Amino acid sequence: MTTFRSLMAAGVAALLTTAALPGLASAEVTVLGWPGGSEETALRAAVEVYNALPNTADTDKVELLFFNRDGFYDKLQADLAAGSDAFDINLIATYSIGRYAPFMEPVDLGTDAEKVFGKPILETMQFEGKQYGVPTDLSLHFMYYRKDLIDALMADDAAKARYAEIAKKYLGKELAPKDPDQWNWDDWAATALYFTKAVNPDSPVRYGTVLQMKNLLFNMMVFQSLPRSYGADWTDASGKVTVDSKAYRTGLELYKKLYDAGATPKDSLSYEYPETNAAWTSGQIATALQWNAAAGELMNPDTAPAVAEDTAVVAPPSGPEGRKDHIHGLGLGLNKSSKHKEGAVRFLKWLASENAALAYAKAGGSPALAPDVVAKIAADRPDLVKLGEFAGAYGYVMNGATSAGALSVYEAQAKEFTAYWAGQKSLDEALAAATRTMTDLLKK
Amino acid sequence: MHSTPQQREGRLLLAPLVAFLIVFLSFPALVDIVYALSDVTFQTMRAPQIVGFRNFGVVLADPEFWAACWFSLRFGVLTAIIECGLGLALAIFLSPIVSRHGWTLALIMLPMMVAPSMVGLMYRLVLHEFAGPLPHYLTLWFGTSPAFLDANNAFWTLVVVEVLQWTPFAFLLFHVAYISIPAEIREAAAMDRATAWKILWRIELPMMKATIAIALGIRFIDGFRVFDNVFGLTGAGAGGSTMSLSIYIYQSFFKGGQIGQAVAASVLMFLASLVVLYGAAVLKAQLDRRRMAA
Amino acid sequence: MNALRWIVFAVAAFAMNFPVIVTLITSFKSAKEIAMNPGLIIQAPTLANYARVLTDTSRFNIYAYLLNSTVAALIGSLLALLLTLPAAYAIVRTGTGRRHLLPLVANLRAVPLVVFAIPLYMMFQFVGLLDTRLGLGLILTIVNLPLSLMMMVNAISDMPTEIDEAARMDRAGAFVILRRIVRPVIRPAVVTAFIFGFITAWNEYLFGLMLTTRNAVPVTVGASFFFSASGGGVQWGVASAVMILGALPPAVLGMLIYRQLTGSMTAGAVKG
Repeated sequence: MTTFRSLMAAGVAALLTTAALPGLASAEVTVLGWPGGSEETALRAAVEVYNALPNTADTDKVELLFFNRDGFYDKLQADLAAGSDAFDINLIATYSIGRYAPFMEPVDLGTDAEKVFGKPILETMQFEGKQYGVPTDLSLHFMYYRKDLIDALMADDAAKARYAEIAKKYLGKELAPKDPDQWNWDDWAATALYFTKAVNPDSPVRYGTVLQMKNLLFNMMVFQSLPRSYGADWTDASGKVTVDSKAYRTGLELYKKLYDAGATPKDSLSYEYPETNAAWTSGQIATALQWNAAAGELMNPDTAPAVAEDTAVVAPPSGPEGRKDHIHGLGLGLNKSSKHKEGAVRFLKWLASENAALAYAKAGGSPALAPDVVAKIAADRPDLVKLGEFAGAYGYVMNGATSAGALSVYEAQAKEFTAYWAGQKSLDEALAAATRTMTDLLKK
Repeated sequence: MHSTPQQREGRLLLAPLVAFLIVFLSFPALVDIVYALSDVTFQTMRAPQIVGFRNFGVVLADPEFWAACWFSLRFGVLTAIIECGLGLALAIFLSPIVSRHGWTLALIMLPMMVAPSMVGLMYRLVLHEFAGPLPHYLTLWFGTSPAFLDANNAFWTLVVVEVLQWTPFAFLLFHVAYISIPAEIREAAAMDRATAWKILWRIELPMMKATIAIALGIRFIDGFRVFDNVFGLTGAGAGGSTMSLSIYIYQSFFKGGQIGQAVAASVLMFLASLVVLYGAAVLKAQLDRRRMAA
Repeated sequence: MNALRWIVFAVAAFAMNFPVIVTLITSFKSAKEIAMNPGLIIQAPTLANYARVLTDTSRFNIYAYLLNSTVAALIGSLLALLLTLPAAYAIVRTGTGRRHLLPLVANLRAVPLVVFAIPLYMMFQFVGLLDTRLGLGLILTIVNLPLSLMMMVNAISDMPTEIDEAARMDRAGAFVILRRIVRPVIRPAVVTAFIFGFITAWNEYLFGLMLTTRNAVPVTVGASFFFSASGGGVQWGVASAVMILGALPPAVLGMLIYRQLTGSMTAGAVKG
């Protein structure tokens, strides 16, 4: 009894002293950023530079705020919809800009912004022709592959014969091993099958690839570059949904073929970003289509001791329409309910300047910069050159992928496509359902 | 209106709870009723357009709603029965050592202390084919490890995950109920040379009846509305095979932005469980009356 | 027989605690080792994950999160008990509210409370409870009411009526009876309800996410700072350390008052 009573007493005392404690009032500009990764590190560094500038007034100083990542967009949705003024500037992404635009205010970044980022990159932050934010980071995908395995395959005639045999049996095509930078999707699939124990018991690794097939919208972004290179799009020019197409069918069937053949881990239907990294670092995977952001972890000997040295990246394989790479931008824009709009706009304008972008890049961020700007930092960040190069040459955005319904379209695809891969629905059913939902979502 | 002093006293004792409910839930409930009858998205939250019962029609016609209901029902019933069965058996069998060594109870209670959202995440590591210890040892010892989370096995994996975390809950309730049985009753029965089994079936279990019912009820409700650990582990996959009703509602609310339909679905869920609870109350009243008559 | 009991106990405790054990072990592994060694034996134990969680306060102020969770969970569990104990007594002994209030409240547990999130958000914003510990505590009270009420009703209906009838003879008022007689008798149930309530409140995630941004962020939400859905890997070691630290307070609380549960033999004797 005494323990319980003293606990009660302590509890009550704690409540009285702390429950009513007022929060810290701030007259500053509050920025809600994307937490936990290189984006956060870079933003912190950039803000430090800004706050130290001689002409930054005390009332304009920037303070940072981070939510957690899981549930970030749901929380942001609730905050914006309810008109919260807890932050003045918040994160937006190309795929969510249409959904959040009604709660945000367009910003005029000035003419210099175009010189820093280039027009196509600025467009990743536009909705209905208006600029809603400063592009800070660009995301796309790399094809990660194991150099050591591919080199061994290319040097071994018996292996090449086995490769051709597997390609013939599973893909119905005569194929020979190729340099990954020359791959089309069939070459990739044949390589994945060749390096799969279930297909080829002599394979030095367990699986030829690792597919992210969890029912999660981001996984659709990884997937869609495959159908895209066969000419896929969400809608045609008239706005008719074209997901039930030859291109999508080819891509979906190829994923299913690889899954059914055991070329990707058995639990791939629950895999997303971290599972893919964990599988890669185990050294049992030969190829993986994965976000550029993973390069830091997968090519670092501290976090990937078994494979970092042998991991290399190229742009995704090609299809009949050439190579395609999904791009989207993360950026920062102005909350309509903000109470410090002028100060917030001053910060956003600074962030769109060359100095700010370079400081951001130096601290580990991944901005996509115009060629003459990126040249100034190429020595520090060679990967940014590759990022800009891939984005420029292969980047695409699906029709409707910046609309208000874009996020929900990805959700719907994730639900239907994973149901097909899991064998819960036939391809026809899944595509019919996806067409219905997408038509509904994209008609506005 | 005449009321006895007892009734007046009863109302006085209920007043704080009722007042609290009115203050905190009447406004949200009202808003939700309006939303359930409206065409409303995040953009039109402050100006919903009343459309009558259309949302209910859409939800009831959605096969995925029914699939989610079926998942939740199966999951709730199975986990409640397994958890309570295991918890009861363990509570009674381990009672001698648990009531003598308190630390054992603390150890058994430990799994409940971890947030279900984190348990989901933890199992992503535990079950990972390359980074997880379970597949690691299975592969080491048996040369292979099953696909825990594919379309065929995900349901059962989740049942095991839920059972392992919440059997302690049932255990704790049964432990408290079991040791609350007065020692004299057992001694009296032992004096009559009743066997341990007989004491268990004739005396102890009947005395724990109320607790068993309440434990089954609570575990069923919690299993039925399961969200955090399933969402974290499989995210309604593989291919929709683990979409619980709560996940269905959450997804149509935030991901689909169809607030009206999400709220309508939860109103249906509320009504359904209300029917079950009322039904149980009526059944209990009838049984009581029959026993009185007998 | 007792040896068998110990074996069963060991197997059950190990199986149920398996994820906790794995988390604990992972929290002492370096990132390098996690990538190389999925087994349960640590080759090179390190405290780096804990050091990072405990010292990186500019990014992740675990002390503030723990305090927020403690305060909110205490409000959520104690207030729920204060509200439901008298109500349960009234329901059992006078029958008032048994027909409608009890099923209605019990039903709250079955509804995904996410549908209340937006209206509650707007309401809290209006009265200034958004992002406060008190506000979060009040929501957690709602979350806890159903279980707390069911357990109190269960406990009081198990209590022989003679005990409080005797007090009633002495013309003691209902509140006095509650305080002096009922509470000591059903103490194990009250303690159990408090523990469950505290744990439920402590582990609640969704409202913590929705209704706090800066000043009242609870540890479940703060912890997921180290996880991610996309675009940044899970740092398993650090995440494990956070989970262990986050589960520690309710575990310690459980340890502190488990005696209340094992010691309730005496309470049982009073009852008989």
